[in-house]
Amino acid sequence: MNRNLFSREFRSNGLSLLIWTLVITALIMATMSLYGVFLENNSKILAMVSILPEGALQFKGISNVDDLFSVLGFYSANNVIYMLVLGSIYAIVLSSGILLKEEYNKTAEYLLAWPLTRSEVFFSKALVVYLNILIINVITTGAGYLTLEIFKKEPYSVDAFFILSFYTFLLHIFFVSLGLFMSVLVKKPRPITTMGIGLVLILYFVFTISNITESLSWIGYVSPYKFLSLDVLDPKYSIEWISLLYFIGLSLLLVFSAQRLYRRKDIYL
Amino acid sequence: MSTPAIDIDGLTKTYGRDRGIENVSLRVDEGEIFGFIGPNGAGKSTTIRVLLNLLFPSGGSARIMGMDVARESKRIKNLTGYVPSDACPYTSMETDEFLRYCSRYYPQVSDQGRIEELMQLFEVDHNRKISDLSTGNRKKISIIQSLLHDPKLLIVDEPTTGLDPLMQARFFELLRAENKRGMTVFFSSHTLSDVQMLCKRVAIIREGRIIKVEEIETLRKRQLKKIHVEFGDKKDNDLSALPGIEKMTIISDRSMAFIYSGEVDRLISELKDRKVNDITIEEPSLEEIFMHYYN
Repeated sequence: MNRNLFSREFRSNGLSLLIWTLVITALIMATMSLYGVFLENNSKILAMVSILPEGALQFKGISNVDDLFSVLGFYSANNVIYMLVLGSIYAIVLSSGILLKEEYNKTAEYLLAWPLTRSEVFFSKALVVYLNILIINVITTGAGYLTLEIFKKEPYSVDAFFILSFYTFLLHIFFVSLGLFMSVLVKKPRPITTMGIGLVLILYFVFTISNITESLSWIGYVSPYKFLSLDVLDPKYSIEWISLLYFIGLSLLLVFSAQRLYRRKDIYL
Repeated sequence: MSTPAIDIDGLTKTYGRDRGIENVSLRVDEGEIFGFIGPNGAGKSTTIRVLLNLLFPSGGSARIMGMDVARESKRIKNLTGYVPSDACPYTSMETDEFLRYCSRYYPQVSDQGRIEELMQLFEVDHNRKISDLSTGNRKKISIIQSLLHDPKLLIVDEPTTGLDPLMQARFFELLRAENKRGMTVFFSSHTLSDVQMLCKRVAIIREGRIIKVEEIETLRKRQLKKIHVEFGDKKDNDLSALPGIEKMTIISDRSMAFIYSGEVDRLISELKDRKVNDITIEEPSLEEIFMHYYN
């Protein structure tokens, strides 16, 4: 790791970290502030939900509509879109661009002519992305906890909340590693932001389809979302070893494969 | 015999089915200012990018100061400066900020005196956003960053693009001074006059292959002659049987000019039975010699 490169990268990505953190935090807070109104109108909500097509709730990771009326269930349903989808988009956009931008901005010809090994470049940049993901997760988890404490009407499982947040963090780590891996496979120097966003949305869509359609449930295993446990109201809700192994194992495999490929990558300008 | 500054042996780089460079071999001695010329797309930048480990060779080897360019790249770069052909692209940074940032990569640069000295020499404004600078001024920033750590080898790729004549002269003067202090310069350009002004030896590359490595003076003194003949009779003007004629320009039905690479004796004997009103035999310009190798 090179400290000079790390600190420059960290500073240059600071604004986007700030914007994404503010947007996601604001969305979480704004949505949770509606929880009281949501509870007051539960009969109208139930009537509205009853006319929705089967599976529409699944899109927000809800298996039982009653879950929405507990504060943690309500938080979790919104967390799916804000953190599991939006946060993952941030993770893949940041990670897929951090190495590639040196090529399409033509700064690689300078950076790689300075006394740095490819591994130093790779790990300095990867560390910036992982740190950004840690920061956004800590802040949004803090904001989520604060809103749960403010808007709760009854006790909820704080442990379940932190387990959900940990799953979210694992998912983001996976998408960071996937973004880094994708970026080292790209030969022509061009941004792959759209591809990254598309991939997150497709993987989420695949997961939803597999939940709705029983005959296609197997297809869900293609998506990392399938390995998340979102059933926060289950009293036995915990971190599953298989999920932990899946996310950590796959992330390590992707990131070290990316590093090995980057060490031998031809830089086209 | 001292270790060459650059030693390239049978270097090949292919891009799939596309040509890159093929079997490039050359040696640049320590303390030399070496020219590397060729038209755009000839393989100059590819060669340089392999030397700097941006590209990995498909075949052959390259060593800088005795070190393998792929395996000992970090050590090499600590001793090498590089001016890329594109002007400084760090547009979000300010001039001083960028140069301080570059200097921090070199452990041997302990004070900022060198930055100040070079900024003054090239008349670069302090604390100006790089995006606000002209191409020429951004090029000066590229040049300065390459010299901050007193490199033993400087590789420059089309360094004069965008520089005004005054700055070009100042840059050349600096290169000569640094060369006297022991710095080797590998000067890549498609502008022969630049190479001619600075370099003692030159390699000509065309379509990915080195076609000649020669001393500039030898290039100039080659047998090539620029001939202008004016015949007394238009029926005498056919010289197509004579080998070594190139770049034929028909001026009129009795007058022609061409570059001649054959023996002058042979030309004279070819002309002796014809009516010749006038003939001039001149040294061709270096540009014309250069084009001879290109074509």
